[in-house]
Amino acid sequence: MRQILSFIQKEFRHIFRDVRTTMIVLVMPVVQIILFGYAVSTEVYNVVVDVVGDMTDPEVRRIVERIDANEYLRIGEVLPSVSEIEGRFRRGSPKAVLCFGDRFDSQAGSGKGASLRIVADGADPNTAQTVTAYLMGVLASEQMEMATALTGSSGPSFSPNIQLMYNPAMSSSYNFVPGVMGLILMLICSMMTAVSIVREKEFGTLELVLVSPVKPFWIVLSKLAPYLVLSLVNYVSVLLLAHYVMGVPVNGSLTLLTLASLVFVGSSLGLGLLVSVISKTQQTALMICGMGLTMPTMMLSGIIFPCESMPAVLQAISCIIPAKWYVIMVKKIMIQGVGFASVAKEFAVLTGMMAFLLYVSIKKFKTRL
Amino acid sequence: MEEKTVMIRNLVKKFGSFTAVDNISFEVSRGEIFGFLGANGAGKTTAMRILCGLSKPTSGEGTVAGFSINSEQEQIKRHIGYMSQKFSLYPDLKVWENFELFGGIYGLNDKEIRIKTDSMLKALSLEDARNMYVRDMPLGWKQKLAFSIAMVHDPEIVFLDEPTGGVDPVTRRNFWETIYDAASKGVTVFVTTHYMDEAEYCDRVSIMVDGRIEALGSPAELKEAYGAADMDGVFTRIAGRGAAGQ
Amino acid sequence: MWKYLVKKEFKQFLRDPGMPGMVLMFPFLIILVFPFATNMEIRNVRLVMVDNDHSDRSHLLMEKCASSGWFEVLDVNAAPESAQALMDRGRTDAILTIDNGFSQYLEDTRGGGGSVPVGIKVNTVNGTRGSIAGQYLNTCVTGFISDNMVSSSAAAMPGFDVSGSYRFNPYLDYKLYMIPGLIVIAITMMCGFLPALNIVSEKEKGTIEQINVTPVKKTAFIACKMVPYVAVAYFMVFTCLLLAYLVFGYSCRGSYFAIIVYTLAHILVMASFGLLVSNFSENTQQAMFVIWFFSMIFMLMSGVFTPIESMPQWAKTITYANPLRYFADAMRAIFLKGCGIRETWPDLACLLGIGSLTMTWAVLSYKKTA
Repeated sequence: MRQILSFIQKEFRHIFRDVRTTMIVLVMPVVQIILFGYAVSTEVYNVVVDVVGDMTDPEVRRIVERIDANEYLRIGEVLPSVSEIEGRFRRGSPKAVLCFGDRFDSQAGSGKGASLRIVADGADPNTAQTVTAYLMGVLASEQMEMATALTGSSGPSFSPNIQLMYNPAMSSSYNFVPGVMGLILMLICSMMTAVSIVREKEFGTLELVLVSPVKPFWIVLSKLAPYLVLSLVNYVSVLLLAHYVMGVPVNGSLTLLTLASLVFVGSSLGLGLLVSVISKTQQTALMICGMGLTMPTMMLSGIIFPCESMPAVLQAISCIIPAKWYVIMVKKIMIQGVGFASVAKEFAVLTGMMAFLLYVSIKKFKTRL
Repeated sequence: MEEKTVMIRNLVKKFGSFTAVDNISFEVSRGEIFGFLGANGAGKTTAMRILCGLSKPTSGEGTVAGFSINSEQEQIKRHIGYMSQKFSLYPDLKVWENFELFGGIYGLNDKEIRIKTDSMLKALSLEDARNMYVRDMPLGWKQKLAFSIAMVHDPEIVFLDEPTGGVDPVTRRNFWETIYDAASKGVTVFVTTHYMDEAEYCDRVSIMVDGRIEALGSPAELKEAYGAADMDGVFTRIAGRGAAGQ
Repeated sequence: MWKYLVKKEFKQFLRDPGMPGMVLMFPFLIILVFPFATNMEIRNVRLVMVDNDHSDRSHLLMEKCASSGWFEVLDVNAAPESAQALMDRGRTDAILTIDNGFSQYLEDTRGGGGSVPVGIKVNTVNGTRGSIAGQYLNTCVTGFISDNMVSSSAAAMPGFDVSGSYRFNPYLDYKLYMIPGLIVIAITMMCGFLPALNIVSEKEKGTIEQINVTPVKKTAFIACKMVPYVAVAYFMVFTCLLLAYLVFGYSCRGSYFAIIVYTLAHILVMASFGLLVSNFSENTQQAMFVIWFFSMIFMLMSGVFTPIESMPQWAKTITYANPLRYFADAMRAIFLKGCGIRETWPDLACLLGIGSLTMTWAVLSYKKTA
């Protein structure tokens, strides 16, 4: 036991003596969660809309002012003709152009049906759809008001009452912050650990350790210990920022969240360890983690793009990424505030992953002896 | 008068407040094997890097192969060869490819490179290793090869920074024969080492302690002056005195 | 001299155990795998319906919702508590509750009397998914009511017809939008930072020392190092474009010359940035961490995945310093909108501006540290 403790002590010294790397590892997640917590969002604000139409026409004026007053939309330029649209889109500033027909006011008032066309820049389908929906909404309320003014009574509203559960303010941070937490924790944990064993391999100090009477299992474990501490520090800082800065609630049990995070961190460390055991040089190890893990985690774990919309094959692949399960759990625990029973499946999956990764890396480590 | 390939006067190199090289002066003649001895951290590598044009002196002046160490570093680089303590050929290139690369860098054309590669490999009796990756070669071969590559452009002077670290005495002996061979052709050899038996092979040696040259002369002269049986004894005495003087 | 240095870099690149394979694999991933993952479209919204009215009308409404094609209906006759439990466990995205009195509401001749006895609950933990589920349901219900209202007045409302259309991507194909963006990401990962890491590892191995004592200029050495990466970048860009054409039938609508210019400019910016980072790092590990850190920021704040318009003002300001923003913007404009350098010149100007800044700083700090 004493031997193992002295091993762990050695590992701690090793890691924390390199102050600069330790600082980098601790500061990175803080900066990233702040940046991405705010910046990664698919809500569309402040979209520029151009207008083609006769600005002296009173009805056109009313609609344009209405749009400009909308918090999501902003009027850009008034174009003299529809032929200008293409050029404006190419230079990229407006996302949509509203084209009014001739003599819009009198046509609209007469009930003959004036025509209005929305041309959106479809290059970015998400923004295009959202902008079109916003514009449609503004126009519908304008139409409603016109009808009221004409008939003197408000038209019937058939809209049912929509109740937004868990996230009534529709804050997009609820959606993206847990994802960003998972992404950052997983990648940083695995990258840190990825160098652990391969570095000693490169320096040749591993042989020294291997001839000692300590069992490989304990060697690996003592190597993981300092990284576990660093990861937990990262978890705490990320959680504090998510809650106090990004305003994500912690509706469920903090203990459960911490337990889930522990398992997640464990499986990320296991992943890093496996990479470390199989790669020959530090550079390869860092490359596998830095490039090989980043892309799939970002794209496939449902952080930005919903897993449900992916084809079945990709959905299946996404199941092997630990971050996916963690993000689901975090959302459930932090936002929905559910108990253990509701996250039991994800918890079990992550625990299984952790056990598998650690088992395989220790086994691989042993066969290298 | 003998031709001097290296002339150094009052060379000083400081890193902040630390003086790595403290006012050293010496000369080396053409075809001489000049040994640069000293404990780790005594300043030999720093001094050598200045002579190779890798760093600039804080003060002092000198010439290497006739060019100023202060202002003509790029000229110096054309006329010297260098082999460092870290074995620094490209491990993922084949033997002939390393020859080609360094020959090409020094401005040899394809034909010259081919001739040079053939003759050098023959001299090393490594013709069969031509297509081997450098990483797969034994250390002794690598060292001989690195020396040959440092000589590929027929430099006037070749700098060897602890060239024989980590090899067995037989291979070291072998390597020194290659050095003698080069020196006999008029190449000046400037070598740092901490193997005292190697110091015996040099024409002259200088011993550095704490950035200063404490002793300079032929091995025989030094042994006599310090009353020691071998260079090891000389070194122990000088280094001991340096430490006591602190 | 240049010939030999470039030859060396190519040989080393091709002999690396991982690189050539990655270069060949990346275009396939970028075109054949990732575009399918980058789908913002919400499909298969899971729906549970609670019917408290138990009338023909309520059945009709449920049928209409079920046949709309937007939903995957989990249960049509759930108890309110079990529906809520399903939502808590994240099994369903929306609950439609038809209250008692729904058929009566429709009979009401006055029309629009009181509130609609239909409740919609959506799970908005996944932001967009919930709100879109709400919109879909709302459309279904509103449509159903106005069609079935006994008093529904069919009088033409005054006002205007609104029609919408989409330029450049009329079917709003997300893949088409993502492909140029993903090409940008791939080039950044493969060619942007690797030259710098390559230099760090030559430093660690000591081989750079051997080059330093030769008459080779440092800038020349670095320039030669860049050559294979530039070649690889072009290989990847054009393989991706070819694959996109062969597999999806998308062709680049703009000038290939502009793509060539932008790719080169981008690599130079990223490589000099990488060099800058490596100059300030003590070892490979640090260099790699810091480079990874910045590449994440560059990627996630470039507008490739989420629009820059949706960022808060301070974050938007930061993106002006992000070279990826300009490269991605230009690549999309070229690929989708048929632009050339003439229309996108501000992007190029910014890219070159950032590039000359990082390049100068990198070269200065490199000379100092060496």
